Amino acid sequence: MRISRGGAIVAAVLAGALALTGCTSGNSTAPEASTAKTTLVVGKSFDLSTADPARSFETTGGIFGRAVYDTLLTFAKGDATTPIPMVAESYEANEGATEYTFTLRDDVVFSDGTPLTSADVVFSFDRVKNIQGNGSFLMEGLSVSAPDESTVVISSDEPNTAIPAIITAQTLGIVNSELVKENGGTDAADASTTDTAEEFLNTTSAGSGPYIIETFNTETETVIVANPNYWGEPAAYEKIVLKNATAENQLMDIQSGTIDIALDLGADQLPAIESNPELAIESGISPTIFFLFSNASPEISKVTSTQAFRDAVKYGLDYDGLLEIAGEGSAQVPGVIPSVFFGALKPGDAAVRDIDKAKAAVQELGDIDPISLEYPSDFSVAGISFGTVAERVQANLKEVGLEITLAPAPISTALDSYRAGTEQMGLWLWNPDYPDPADYLVFAPDKLVGLRAGWTGGSNPDLVALADKAAVATEEAERADIFREFQLTMNEVGVFAPLFQPAATVVAGKDIEGAVFSAVFGIDLTYIGK
Amino acid sequence: MLFRFILSRLGSAAILAVGIILVSFVLTALLPGDAATSRLGERAAGNPEIVAAVRARYGLDQPLYVQFFIYLGNLLRGDLGTSIRTQKPVLSDLAQFGPASAELAIVATIVAVIVGVGLGIVASLRANGLVDQALRVVSLGGVSIPIFWLALIAVYVFSTLNRVFPSSGRLNPGQTPPSQVTGMYTLDSLLAGDLTLFASAISHLILPALVLSAPMIGLLLRFTRSSMLEVLGNEYVRAAEAKGLPRHTVILRHVLRGALVPVITVLGTAFASLLAGTVLVEQIFGWPGIGAYAFRSASNLDLPAIVGVTLFVAIVYITVNLIVDFLYGIIDPRIRRA
Repeated sequence: MRISRGGAIVAAVLAGALALTGCTSGNSTAPEASTAKTTLVVGKSFDLSTADPARSFETTGGIFGRAVYDTLLTFAKGDATTPIPMVAESYEANEGATEYTFTLRDDVVFSDGTPLTSADVVFSFDRVKNIQGNGSFLMEGLSVSAPDESTVVISSDEPNTAIPAIITAQTLGIVNSELVKENGGTDAADASTTDTAEEFLNTTSAGSGPYIIETFNTETETVIVANPNYWGEPAAYEKIVLKNATAENQLMDIQSGTIDIALDLGADQLPAIESNPELAIESGISPTIFFLFSNASPEISKVTSTQAFRDAVKYGLDYDGLLEIAGEGSAQVPGVIPSVFFGALKPGDAAVRDIDKAKAAVQELGDIDPISLEYPSDFSVAGISFGTVAERVQANLKEVGLEITLAPAPISTALDSYRAGTEQMGLWLWNPDYPDPADYLVFAPDKLVGLRAGWTGGSNPDLVALADKAAVATEEAERADIFREFQLTMNEVGVFAPLFQPAATVVAGKDIEGAVFSAVFGIDLTYIGK
Repeated sequence: MLFRFILSRLGSAAILAVGIILVSFVLTALLPGDAATSRLGERAAGNPEIVAAVRARYGLDQPLYVQFFIYLGNLLRGDLGTSIRTQKPVLSDLAQFGPASAELAIVATIVAVIVGVGLGIVASLRANGLVDQALRVVSLGGVSIPIFWLALIAVYVFSTLNRVFPSSGRLNPGQTPPSQVTGMYTLDSLLAGDLTLFASAISHLILPALVLSAPMIGLLLRFTRSSMLEVLGNEYVRAAEAKGLPRHTVILRHVLRGALVPVITVLGTAFASLLAGTVLVEQIFGWPGIGAYAFRSASNLDLPAIVGVTLFVAIVYITVNLIVDFLYGIIDPRIRRA
């Protein structure tokens, strides 16, 4: 009898808890995200490390930073090709594109009411340059000065038409220089060791954007609230919560109403919500490119460094089949520059599978040992696993007689051999640093990614010259032509085989306006609700 | 006697801790990969000056044995180093994530003890009957159903299809956590007198805790049943019954007490593994606990965090074992006297 009474007590406690949680989840969890709409909850798989714009260079940092820190220029909703005014109301370049002069608006104020001046821009940019962070390379070869309070001049050692695109990067968000200096910030040459403002900036907003920091947490959630002193059109939401959630959690959260927007759902997850009348799916194309490379250094492989091997890979890959793996909405990338940016090749320029040519190339190679294909095994983007892509590549090449051995490794270790240039073949991706074709010159011989594929300048001086020419070209039509030639030549040589760009999806509640994918920021929170 | 016992256990625990740190250091160092560049972007990783600055910042430019002794020195001052990934002191990370896992593990254990031991008693009293057969299936199911599968099904049924419980997190999005006293949101919100926050915290806690308790329920059910059956056959039980003691007094005071020693051994080990190994459940429920922290630290070769977590887990195991030893003595005076 007593046992059963105890059981009754336990049952009563559980029932009470259930009733309590029933009330809670019914009254506060789901509806909070979907009724009043003063709060917007955004699900994102965090790669957040800091709220300090000068040190931030991750995707989540960009989303957060775009809402908190203004930049000189930015992009219109959904566009990634033409920078538009933001803090700078206008700009002009000199004839050689070595000097850009920006005229600042006179009504921009920081969240504490302090007016934003050219001194703040100079401080912010020099701080990025000297802090030696992930985004410091943006200021390589650039110097910044302020002839007067409302004018900023950016000078470049070489002609550089990418400057307007570069300064849209959130790393170059403008901070309140006096406030940051008061809290340990410096733009001095030794800023990498003497700047101590990060801790302050992880708790306090020093920007002029429409939102300010309420709480910043790199592991759970980061909350920003409307900036009461914002100089532009007021923020659409009183509060935005960026919630750290895996793609799997986002799928569950968006269906349960816990979040309003899911940013990381892969194509394979979409069928689960396509028929949900409460949700809208906005699809775009990601600027991330997946590519394959064959090491061009004979020291690494006497086989992969031959033109015959590159041809076998180029003609042996089933590009349409790879798109099936990448999922609906993905697209073959015809060159190294993704389709959303200026300078991209047209779809008709893309490589096409030709089994006869591939088999002929394999025959030319003769009797060879299997080649190792390395890739990160614990990493996926937009639901696309590197392992799945690598297996398909292996199967494709086997069909034309090329034996590939898969060599997966955790990303932290796989990166080592990739960066050291010791992989025979590698399967990797490139995310844009800034939306300009100049960012993709890293694939040229002797450049950052080219060297990872063992591709030195001496092996193709013409291509090196073409890349150098592309870097300093200033006329738009001329740039387009040079970048086209650069990519077509790259495709012809075939050290790199550009594969595809995944689909980019933003899933939002039907009542959320303006939740569209941005190739630059992932999503621009400041446009949502407007 | 007790003091000497505690002192000798603490002494061996300290030696064990140093050994664990040494092994963690060596094993992490043996892994291929570069901790300094793993968190750097592609461009920065290609810049030797930036890489050198990162190495110097985290002491990675020193030989491993120097790093080890510096770490030990700092540890004596209560400094577990700074996480390369979160860039915060490891101690503050552990203070943030440890209580989250502890809260989950404690509630799961309470549920498991109530349900598992309770059902184990019922099964032993109805041995080989229909109820016992049914509970055997429950026990087997609890032990053998993969926890990640159970978690996914639970979320689908109770969060996606029916919005009974929230699907992830510890609080509703945007809710400010209570001031940290224990780090367990349910307790802290009660201490703060904030019932709305408490309701939110417990609604987020129930589903992952129930899922986490499932294997433990299965385990405790089986152990309690077999241990009870063993004790039920003893002569002193028959003597108690012959004296005319009520059945429930015999069961709860004499049989259960005698049967608890092996159950507590299992419970202690299971609790420690729960606390240290909730990674799958934490991942599925978006629960920011020590398991998820350990997983992300290991993925990023974050040496200070890896060693910190290892040390944390070791301390948990050692503490739980100590508690189990003391509980033996309380339950069975013969052990205390021995």
